[in-house]
Amino acid sequence: MAESSENPVHHLRRMFVLWLVLSLVVDVLFWFLVGPHVPPGHMTETAKDNQQVFNVLFVIALPVLLGVWIYLGYSAIVWRDREGAPEPVGGEVARTNSHAQVLWITITSFIVICLAAYGTIDLISHNGAGGGQGPNPAWAPAGAAAATQPNAVWTATNNSVLPVQVIAQQWKFTYRYPTFGGFESQHLILPNNTEIAFHVTSLDVIHSFWGYQLGVKADANPQIDNVAFTKTIQTGTTWIRCSELCGIWHGSMWNTGTVESKQQFEQWATTTETAQAAATKLLPPFAWTYVPDANGADGGYYPGVDQYSPTEVYGSTKAAS
Amino acid sequence: MATTSTPGYNPTPEEIEFETRAEISSIWTGGRLFIGMYAFLLASLAFSYFYLRSSNNGDLWRPNHVTAPTSFGWAISSLVVLAALLAIYGQWRLRQGRVLDWEVAGWLSFGAALSALGVQIWQLTVLPFYPGSSGYASCFIGWGVVSIMTISILVYWTETTLARSIRMRSEQGAGAQLSGSAEGRLFRAGVESCTYFMGFAALSFIVFTALFYLL
Amino acid sequence: MTTTALPDTSGQGSGAAPVAKSPRQRRSGLFSQHLGTAIIGAVIGYFVGHWLGNVIAGGYTYVQNSGENAVANTLGLAFMVFGWLAGVGALNYPFAKIIGKSSRNAEEMEAWSASLGWQRYFRYTADHKVVGMQYVVGVLLFMFTGGLLAMAIRAELLNPNYHLFGPGRYIEIVSEHGTVMMMMATSIIVGPLGNWLVPLMIGSRRTAYPHVEAFSFWVFTAGYMVIFSALPYGGFPTGWTGYAPLQTQAGAGMISYLLGFAVIGIGMMAAGFNLLVTIISYRAPGMTWSRLPIFVWAILATCALLTLATPTLFAAGLFGILDRTAQTAFYVAEHGGSSYLWQNLFWFFGHPEVYIMALPGFGIVGELLPVFTRKPLFAYKVAAAGMMGVALLSFFVWQHHLFQSGINPDMRPLFMLTTELISIPTGFIFLVGMGTLYKAKIRFEVPMLFCMAVFFNFLIGGVTGVFLSDVPVNVTVHGGFFVLSHFHYTIMGGLLFAFMAGLYYWLPKMTGRMMNKKIGIWHFWTMFIFFNLTFFPMFLIGLLGQPRRVFQYAQNLQTLNEFSSMAAFCLGLSFLLFAWNLLYSMFIKVEVAPANPWNSLGLEWQTPTPVPYYNFERIPVILTDPYHYSEDGAPAVADLGVRVSAGASTAAT
Repeated sequence: MAESSENPVHHLRRMFVLWLVLSLVVDVLFWFLVGPHVPPGHMTETAKDNQQVFNVLFVIALPVLLGVWIYLGYSAIVWRDREGAPEPVGGEVARTNSHAQVLWITITSFIVICLAAYGTIDLISHNGAGGGQGPNPAWAPAGAAAATQPNAVWTATNNSVLPVQVIAQQWKFTYRYPTFGGFESQHLILPNNTEIAFHVTSLDVIHSFWGYQLGVKADANPQIDNVAFTKTIQTGTTWIRCSELCGIWHGSMWNTGTVESKQQFEQWATTTETAQAAATKLLPPFAWTYVPDANGADGGYYPGVDQYSPTEVYGSTKAAS
Repeated sequence: MATTSTPGYNPTPEEIEFETRAEISSIWTGGRLFIGMYAFLLASLAFSYFYLRSSNNGDLWRPNHVTAPTSFGWAISSLVVLAALLAIYGQWRLRQGRVLDWEVAGWLSFGAALSALGVQIWQLTVLPFYPGSSGYASCFIGWGVVSIMTISILVYWTETTLARSIRMRSEQGAGAQLSGSAEGRLFRAGVESCTYFMGFAALSFIVFTALFYLL
Repeated sequence: MTTTALPDTSGQGSGAAPVAKSPRQRRSGLFSQHLGTAIIGAVIGYFVGHWLGNVIAGGYTYVQNSGENAVANTLGLAFMVFGWLAGVGALNYPFAKIIGKSSRNAEEMEAWSASLGWQRYFRYTADHKVVGMQYVVGVLLFMFTGGLLAMAIRAELLNPNYHLFGPGRYIEIVSEHGTVMMMMATSIIVGPLGNWLVPLMIGSRRTAYPHVEAFSFWVFTAGYMVIFSALPYGGFPTGWTGYAPLQTQAGAGMISYLLGFAVIGIGMMAAGFNLLVTIISYRAPGMTWSRLPIFVWAILATCALLTLATPTLFAAGLFGILDRTAQTAFYVAEHGGSSYLWQNLFWFFGHPEVYIMALPGFGIVGELLPVFTRKPLFAYKVAAAGMMGVALLSFFVWQHHLFQSGINPDMRPLFMLTTELISIPTGFIFLVGMGTLYKAKIRFEVPMLFCMAVFFNFLIGGVTGVFLSDVPVNVTVHGGFFVLSHFHYTIMGGLLFAFMAGLYYWLPKMTGRMMNKKIGIWHFWTMFIFFNLTFFPMFLIGLLGQPRRVFQYAQNLQTLNEFSSMAAFCLGLSFLLFAWNLLYSMFIKVEVAPANPWNSLGLEWQTPTPVPYYNFERIPVILTDPYHYSEDGAPAVADLGVRVSAGASTAAT
């Protein structure tokens, strides 16, 4: 029939044209119509960056998806077993095609290595892209280390990094501000246009601090100070959710936060610091991690020991670093 | 022509020989694979040791450089190494056709391994530290369990090989272990695999003794 | 008896009676060893173990204070497993070896089991085909349990505020669903199809270690009992990932998880060990590596992972059990341990684990495509190399599960690179598939439909994996429904669909009965459509901010969740359709299968149905690979030497 006299290249050419047109159209539509609205949004630099990287990945992924789908669909329609269809050709020519193989391996390797390079560059240039970097972050904004010193000061005008400690516990997030006397707040209030250093830790099990619109995610590990950086660029409300299963009320472990102007934030922080001074004195002294002191909660497991504490019983001299 | 009388299944001598060779090959391959699998298990334990050592949470990796009872440790490792050396010696003699030498070495090896098992269990009852008192303590208990598992495998494997040798002799007469029959060849292949594993186990005990008692 | 004959260990001497018997093994009937005695053994074992645990640890302070005896729970379950194995006869041979008995006569044992008829499926038997069929049932048991739990999850998530379950119960269900499904998925193809098919495909009469193989099945079912025991114990709250210190904090059900994984791990290692050695050592003459069916290559790669990665899981589970029973502190930071230790050990196993699930699916698709396209497999060497490459690389990517957890930040670019790199060999299956489809003559039988679905689904799953491997994007998508959808697309969309393809394709061979085509087509389309309708919205749900394992979510996500739940219920119904098809085709309206219904060139189809216990009358001599479709003058796959007269060696026919 007609098939046998057709030049075999026509199939691939048809598919290629269809693929090219569809990819271009959908990619462009996506980039301009959907891209700007992709989560997590534009509230912080890392959120904006995450969105952009997602969009870049998507416009690369979509042609891959379309290519395979078009091929599958085309072959299912054109090359299915039907009346009068030509017999397939077996033998060596059908078993290998070095051009196709080399092309495939080269293209996929190239795409993948480029993506890895892109991701790495992005990670480094955005101070970790909002992900938790552990107690010794490799990529930090200038002034991040200074901000963790005991005498660090943040004001609306001194352009320094604001450290915020996120304490996760079953089943609540609370926030302490070391540069404001270490008071503890149930809501995350942040200043706009500021580099924020989140120091995330846990009092019990592993949680994960996910500031959705902030583009920040850092696991809260007990005895570990997990640091993540971002820079706020827009005011607004953010949701904070726990994204690591931490027990039965994991689903309820969320609250909201706000990004305000620097002046509003400074006012709120200094007022709260003063108002809560008495309460802050009752809290455990501010530290980057907290070691629970059992005070008898050891259940008498260590007989003869009244107050169990790693520091006292075993001579431990420092908390985890 | 060898047959079983089962209808339909009539292997030719060549097929039986082929399957025997396949079985010998599988004993060889399986023995080495088992060593590989066990190596990953031990590597997980070693990883835990080094990981907890480097993170040293709460300064509680090894407070006061606590160490498990050293004499016990040396005794256990020496016995396991002795068992392995005896097995290697025995296998060497078996290759030279000396079945009795192999059997004597084998039973001594079995005895050494069994003693090691006893000493290891004993050691776990006289530890000077609580299991959860430090990272070292936890890893040591973990090693104790894995050590018991390993020595038990050595004991079982050695004993079953020796028992098989006795049964072969009683059923087929002296020298059955050296015969060119399928059973003889498979037996010797099994002895070789067992010996290799014992050598591997001895090496692993040397490594972990160094980790827990020397480092 | 000639010296080359298999020695008669029955003690009855030469010139034995028609079926050689050995006293211990040859009983049948109610008082021999079978599933019933296994259950009795398990019950007795449980009580003995629990009592022993009370004797040992009843006086411990922590036991008296908490009222929970972790030692008793552990020993109870461990002895239950022991009793189960002893009851079914799986320990007879290991104990017999202590008095020197050998069991070289595998064929003899298989002959005996064949003589039992249908009863052999309820026993411990050395015939790999029986073990394969037993695994089919075992795997389906896991699947339907996990599936019911999934229905419960989706029912709960219909509404963010109205709750069907309390938070504790819900998290129990989520954890149990995940764990049961993961346990099933590790063995879903290697167990039933690997065990049944590999010896036939390589031209062998048996596997290398038939006892180990049968043992792996009975351990697998014991593992089911252990993990299921979590529910009456109050469940465990950690999800299938079992993170410490939540694991340390959890109640009695946690032991079921830890011990369950240790037990399943033993089963996995046993199954992998046996098949790996079989493929290496028992290939028929002429079966060179380049003639090996692609399914066998996939099983080879999978078994390499099963044997080498699972010991780490075993160690991780062991340490967890020690933490809870002996009060060690492997995972407790306050006592010198580290919660990261569990994460690293678990994921070092966990990532090869997911390739244990992906590779057999690729193998099935690679095996089936030539049959239904009537073309040879395209780029066979690339496919095989790709599978081995995936297996090797899978050991080097595990920290991509830990990007945000506070690991050494310098590790992250490294693991991002290795994870991106592993997508190259993973993508080879698409090259192979597309090349094979090129100018083919595709017969859309039910197995082929499922194969096409595998390509469709795994593409989405694989591409979204690339998103997850990119650390900046990972910040948004980790821990939420995006990653959940990714792994359902790869594991369920890839592996489970491939399993269905394999079942529809090979059940006619395994049982001699065709699966009903019409019901099959309905099953396929409902499963495919509703699978995608269930899980595709979850990408959006995840991007819109819903974390995993939550029972409460943002109000604005209710519509998407409802939609997904409705589709999930329909997906559940499609599985019922599948169960109905099984019942109907196997028992109600049996359609006898022709000898080779799909016209496959595969060696397994050249045996009679039912396949005799010795597989091949003569060990075949392999002449070429089984992919010479549409090739004039292609040689036969193997010389089966069947028309040989007694006494001659394998002669060409």
